Amino acid sequence: MSHQDVTPREALMRLGGSTAEAVAQVLETFVPGAVERGDVTVISDGQSPFQNIPPGSLASSVSYIDGVTGANIFVMAPAGARALAVAMGVPPESKLDEDLSELELSAVAEAANQTMAAAASAISLVIGQEIEISPPDTKVLAGPAAAADAYGKAPHAISTTFLIAGESCRLIQLVPAAFVMRMVRAIDELSMQSAAGADGVSNSGHAAEGDLPETLGVEEALGGIELRVWAELGRTKLPLGAALELPLGAVVDLDRAADAPVDLFVNGLRFAQGHLLVTDDGEWAIVIDEIGGRRSDAEPAELAAAFPESPKQGVAI
Amino acid sequence: MARVLVVDDAAFMRKVVSDALASGGHEVVGQAGNGEEAVERFQELRPELTTLDITMPQKDGLAALADIMAIDPGARVLMCSALGQESKVIESIKLGAKDFVVKPFQPTRLLEAVGKALS
Repeated sequence: MSHQDVTPREALMRLGGSTAEAVAQVLETFVPGAVERGDVTVISDGQSPFQNIPPGSLASSVSYIDGVTGANIFVMAPAGARALAVAMGVPPESKLDEDLSELELSAVAEAANQTMAAAASAISLVIGQEIEISPPDTKVLAGPAAAADAYGKAPHAISTTFLIAGESCRLIQLVPAAFVMRMVRAIDELSMQSAAGADGVSNSGHAAEGDLPETLGVEEALGGIELRVWAELGRTKLPLGAALELPLGAVVDLDRAADAPVDLFVNGLRFAQGHLLVTDDGEWAIVIDEIGGRRSDAEPAELAAAFPESPKQGVAI
Repeated sequence: MARVLVVDDAAFMRKVVSDALASGGHEVVGQAGNGEEAVERFQELRPELTTLDITMPQKDGLAALADIMAIDPGARVLMCSALGQESKVIESIKLGAKDFVVKPFQPTRLLEAVGKALS
């Protein structure tokens, strides 16, 4: 997908979708099995994202204070807020016709805080920059007009509906124009990186032509990491004093015979055993005789041929 | 079992953390709702362990942690962070926090981290 293919509306839909998914996952931890995610809607120009909000709704909002500007507002009718608080373990303290208690309000605000933090994390993955959020601000809204006054206007807005324990809630995202541009750019860069990565895989022959994977497999992702490999001829123990007093020319006996196999270590893990060779270039090499307890009956020359980097000609010692 | 100061701007989270600590046999000797209050209460109570939220008004958890470590370099502090605050978690460990838990967390996870911080 090229830069020209991503419209602001698509970027907003993607933002809303990522946010809603993250929010739903956190809500699910508070209210297991009782969260339903509804549709993501990009609010058209001239419409208020707060329309139809019931009087007395609870709104908990966080702002982005670093990375991007904008705000996320979680709006719940009183019954929904009460249901969420109860689901989070707060004993029912207020009656249906009363305002929520301080603890109920705090629980709802904390749920909003944690969901918004998860949403910010999801967005930061898209734009490639960590986003910091403000502490949550919770207020009771008298109605749509009061909400619009409280939160102001933004060039773009997204609304996502949720059902929590059967009660309707709404996540409203107020999005500045500059952020939409950043989203478009970030999606474009991600698309280009994905395409470039896919090309690399194709060129290496791991993927069939025209069948480019969106993500790399574990082996492909980790296969380029370099590990330390070393061979161990044998061991011995010496008192510290004796080690310090070793003179030049001293002979230290090791615990293995000269023709015994040597151990091959990979990043500290004993990986294989083999025997030493001297290559035509006068360098040491090892022919693998055993890997992870599996011995090979092959002749050393055949084993050497099986490992392209092993010398094909050498002198066994 | 330890004397613990619980710091979080949400009364609900202070209750959740306090209940979990009590279920593990620990004594909650005090609570604070922001960073400034946390430092004052730490100075006053000298708890064996402090649980510290990161995102708080007035003074956030990192600033409070720095002040607490300046008061007592041996202080045991356990950070409570929300998702997406990895860089702040790393910063807090550098400042001297013993461990961290990510919200939302289960009481067992909190008690496990408390045990580790106290060991």
